Amino acid sequence: MTVHLRGPSAVAERRGDGPLDHLRTMIRALPVPTAPMTFPSREAALGLALMDLSFRLDHLPRLSEHLTLMDRGHMSRTISVDVDVDVISGRLRETLQVPGDTALWVPVSRYSRTDLAPVVIRDSNGEVVPRLSHRDANRVTAAAFVKLLFMLINAHDDVSAPATPIHQLRHTHQRSRWLIEAAITELIMVGAPAGQRLHTPLDHAAGLQGSHPVRDLALTGLEALFPTGEGDLVPFARLLQLAVRQYILVAQLGLDRPRRFLTWEAPLLPAQRHPARWPNLAKNVLPVNREFVVEYETEIPRSVKAYHLTLETRQEISVRRFLMSSDVDAEFVEVLAQDLESVARRADRLGSHHKLLELEMQGIASRLAELGRRRLVDLAGYEAYLARLPIPVGPGSSPPPVRLTAERVLRELSAGNCSLDVLAAFCAHYAADGLQHLAKSGLPGPALRNIAAGLRATQVGRDVTCDNDPREHGAHAHWRRPSVELSPQSTEPVRVFAFMTLADEAPALIESITRMVAGLALVVLGIGTLLSGGISWLYSSEIPEGFVPDQADAVVAVLLLVPGLLLARLDLPSTKSVLGQLHKFQRTLAAASVVVTTALAIVVGTVDSDREMTRLFQLALAVLIVILLCCLSEFYARRQHRSSSVPRSARVPRWLRDARRATRATVEPDDFFDARGEV
Amino acid sequence: MTRPTNSTKSSELARIAAEAAGTHFSSVQFTLTHGPANGSLPTPIIDPDKEDPNGWPTDFCHFSVAGLSMSMSTWPSAMSAFSGRVQLGPADPAGQHDTYSYFGHAVPNPGFLNQSTRKVEVLITLGTAHWSPTYRESLMQALVIEKLTGLAAERDAPVLHLHTPVAPVPLSIRAERGDGSNERLRDAIAPCLRFSIGVDPQMSEARLDFETELAALAEEYGFGLKLNDQRFNRVRGEWFTIRGFDRERYRQARGRLFPDAPVLTPKRAVIASLVGPSRTGTTAAAVAALRERGIGVLAASISSMRKTTFINLVLPVNADDPQTHPQWSGGWLDALPRLSATAGHRRHGADQPDDSLIDDWKVAISPAMRCSYPPSSRQTGATFTGRVPYPIWLWWQLPHRTVDTPTLLAEVQAAMQPHARRCEIAYAQSRLCRGDVVRGRAKLIVMLSQEHRDHAAVQRLLTDATEAAQLRIRERLPALGRVDPSKIRLRLSPRERWLTYAGISD
Repeated sequence: MTVHLRGPSAVAERRGDGPLDHLRTMIRALPVPTAPMTFPSREAALGLALMDLSFRLDHLPRLSEHLTLMDRGHMSRTISVDVDVDVISGRLRETLQVPGDTALWVPVSRYSRTDLAPVVIRDSNGEVVPRLSHRDANRVTAAAFVKLLFMLINAHDDVSAPATPIHQLRHTHQRSRWLIEAAITELIMVGAPAGQRLHTPLDHAAGLQGSHPVRDLALTGLEALFPTGEGDLVPFARLLQLAVRQYILVAQLGLDRPRRFLTWEAPLLPAQRHPARWPNLAKNVLPVNREFVVEYETEIPRSVKAYHLTLETRQEISVRRFLMSSDVDAEFVEVLAQDLESVARRADRLGSHHKLLELEMQGIASRLAELGRRRLVDLAGYEAYLARLPIPVGPGSSPPPVRLTAERVLRELSAGNCSLDVLAAFCAHYAADGLQHLAKSGLPGPALRNIAAGLRATQVGRDVTCDNDPREHGAHAHWRRPSVELSPQSTEPVRVFAFMTLADEAPALIESITRMVAGLALVVLGIGTLLSGGISWLYSSEIPEGFVPDQADAVVAVLLLVPGLLLARLDLPSTKSVLGQLHKFQRTLAAASVVVTTALAIVVGTVDSDREMTRLFQLALAVLIVILLCCLSEFYARRQHRSSSVPRSARVPRWLRDARRATRATVEPDDFFDARGEV
Repeated sequence: MTRPTNSTKSSELARIAAEAAGTHFSSVQFTLTHGPANGSLPTPIIDPDKEDPNGWPTDFCHFSVAGLSMSMSTWPSAMSAFSGRVQLGPADPAGQHDTYSYFGHAVPNPGFLNQSTRKVEVLITLGTAHWSPTYRESLMQALVIEKLTGLAAERDAPVLHLHTPVAPVPLSIRAERGDGSNERLRDAIAPCLRFSIGVDPQMSEARLDFETELAALAEEYGFGLKLNDQRFNRVRGEWFTIRGFDRERYRQARGRLFPDAPVLTPKRAVIASLVGPSRTGTTAAAVAALRERGIGVLAASISSMRKTTFINLVLPVNADDPQTHPQWSGGWLDALPRLSATAGHRRHGADQPDDSLIDDWKVAISPAMRCSYPPSSRQTGATFTGRVPYPIWLWWQLPHRTVDTPTLLAEVQAAMQPHARRCEIAYAQSRLCRGDVVRGRAKLIVMLSQEHRDHAAVQRLLTDATEAAQLRIRERLPALGRVDPSKIRLRLSPRERWLTYAGISD
């Protein structure tokens, strides 16, 4: 049974796009070598050591990322790491030693081959740390793969059985093995970023000879080493995939100071996709007090003990919400769900060994209880965050906890309800020893399948970390590795999502604009009232005498100067920036109000009929009042946004949305940044 | 078997390959020593050169039972060119009297990934009496080992370790559950077998099938079955009873299966150590081949070090075989006739070469040695005299290249000396772990110097003795290996489950 924790996208996303498919294409395309490729064994050892360390990165106890939103669509990242060279074991250390020096080559990060901006690593003194060039890193990686292939061939069961492809590759038909080695080397040197088809000269030739014995043996040998059914799932294929998609960032660190602090600017990150056109248009032309929603996703090594994510924006922009969620327990939940399903399928067989079923059920119960406990801690942190917001989301907004009896908990769970209330109650009953003899309860059987489905649906494997930065225009979330790792053997990187809402908080532009519009309405009202000698022109259908001013120039001057002065006082940002996006509609309101008064000024200058003048003054005032209403509805919308208790994002774990009874549909973010190295 | 695609397996492959491809080292060097168990650890004839930083052993394993002991130690080697996967030969005859040493090389198998697996540990009870197995019981034991490891092999699950005899686990009464303070003291050894397999955590079906079939097997043969408690936060040494030992059914099964085997306790035994690259199913293959030839297994210790598996079997020598063959080493297929001559019962129909998993493995066989069995246990009524052997568990973590395991164990024995009339090391294993530390576990058998019949008093004595000894060892170690005292972690306890307590005293 195969499990894709990452969904089907992890490796074999499309047929023919797997790493081994690339390798096969390369074997067909390359000329057959007549001599072996030689790599010094030192390079192979260095390459393997770098690969090993770069996957685990357990010599990095702390990782910080500092994000700055440059403009809409681009984000710059500064990454800092603490490196502890002492953690690297002695034997690897000998391999990593820089020849003739007391320094080591230490991998500090992996990043996508599509990011090609230069990276300059600095240490705590600001000095530039030497790093391994891409070319050298690729060469040692290729050497590592050639060595690894050789080791796998040597350890294969068929290696000593004559006439098998593996034996031939190893002993009698070495040209085929050289061809595979050459193909691996070429693939690693050239690279193949995700989602791109490998383009080879074969695409341009017609009428090629069908087969070549050396190539055929190479392909058969590869098939024997990594059978097709599981070809793309073997560890070797995964390693090759990462090697052709990513670079290793390797720094040279002296042994005199084993603990180091390094920092570098990561390549600029472009936004991945933009939201759909119509919703975006609606946000821009309706008085909804738009927020700017940014989502960020990255991967951190599982061994990292602490991860800090900070965000900084312009001072005018407030970070309204900042939330981080990681899938640190997702693997554990997936394994638990599979256990549940397996037990459900085997309930009858296990039932004949009653104690075995009980052990299994108790194991499951203890893990469920632990999940409930952890998520409850997260929820408490989230509630505290809401309460300490500058404009707190009132404690009254959280629903009161439901108290459940043990029977009720089991009933709810059996129905697939894995909400936090149920899990927390389950945790309490389990801790109080109220759930003994689970094998005899109604739980084993189809109910377990419901629980598995419920666990997956509520995304209990995701935790939540909240902002703890007191500033309004900055945010900081501090994620700590749980003290008890639930999937201790795993080295799968942890995926981290950050959700941030940027908004224009008080003193906001909309407040100034409202004042300006109100002021302009007053000016129009005042001029009208003074000209007509009363306020009856506002409501009466009669046309007052002498509405056309004698000194029209003075009125025109007032109607042109006052809005102009007021508009000049507003600090309108450029349209490219995030602030520009936030202010798009509000800017339109300001411009509209000025257009109204300017039009009125033209009217005053050109029209000399009382009737038309009165009607146009009435119209102008009505338009200004409509604009004013738009401003007020912006205030109302802002209030709504502020009191929203859970972000409407698909990346916020389902259990959190359920716990706060959030029922509204999720929306796409304005910008999405993906910093995972694989893309 | 399809393997799940995740980075865990890939990075494990990278780790193994990186270690195997280290600058100069492409193979593993090992020594193997057989000898009588006389209280102290046998010193191997080939001592790695400790001046050379790469000469320090990375892994060590010792097992002693029935008056026989075997120890193995491995370290990296630069030698890469030799035929086959394993090379084994007798070391130069020198050093201690009546110990037999071997020396060899092995190429590790990088395809054998077992780090990312979930461990399922099993404790089998084959009797509740005093441990002194007969020929018939050793045949029965061989059958059980073969069946159990066969079950694991069917699911491609590697056997991580297997030991017999081991300390039994007393049945806990409900009121005694908890931290274990009121737990009854355990016997040092009993007719029990403990083994663990590694299952991929994402293949729960395989694990459940294995457990179900294990329970069915226990039902069929009547042996007692305990599994490690899989609840969250439970530690090693906490067990969940699946089936109790069914004396009557076990007796019937034994009589039915081996009606002709003599009901005598073997006087002499040989140690056969099988060495080869780690693969799944090797133990089952080895024990099956022996059992076909009518050879039982008195005791066994199986473990993998640096992707090389060491299967150590203590085989009872026929009572009617007066000859003593000298020590021998060679290929598995050549060893079989030799073994069936010394220990086999069914002379006909055997010895045809079979195409098995372990054809390329090497075997070292010791000469026949005299066995001795523990004189007393709590269950034999020795409580009245108070001269009972008790087990004590030891766990430690030390920086690599400071104090090697035999030195540490000798130190532990010395520290226990003031409290104990006798202190033996029944089992010890240490390995080099990530972060350049050596971690190990050991079981000691002590006989207290003060005789007490009262259970609570004995418990207090044991606790005091272990605490005092722990303190003494921790004081001595820094001087021995110039090791930073803050990096020493060591715990000695009369209860296995207390080893993981990371209290202030660790």
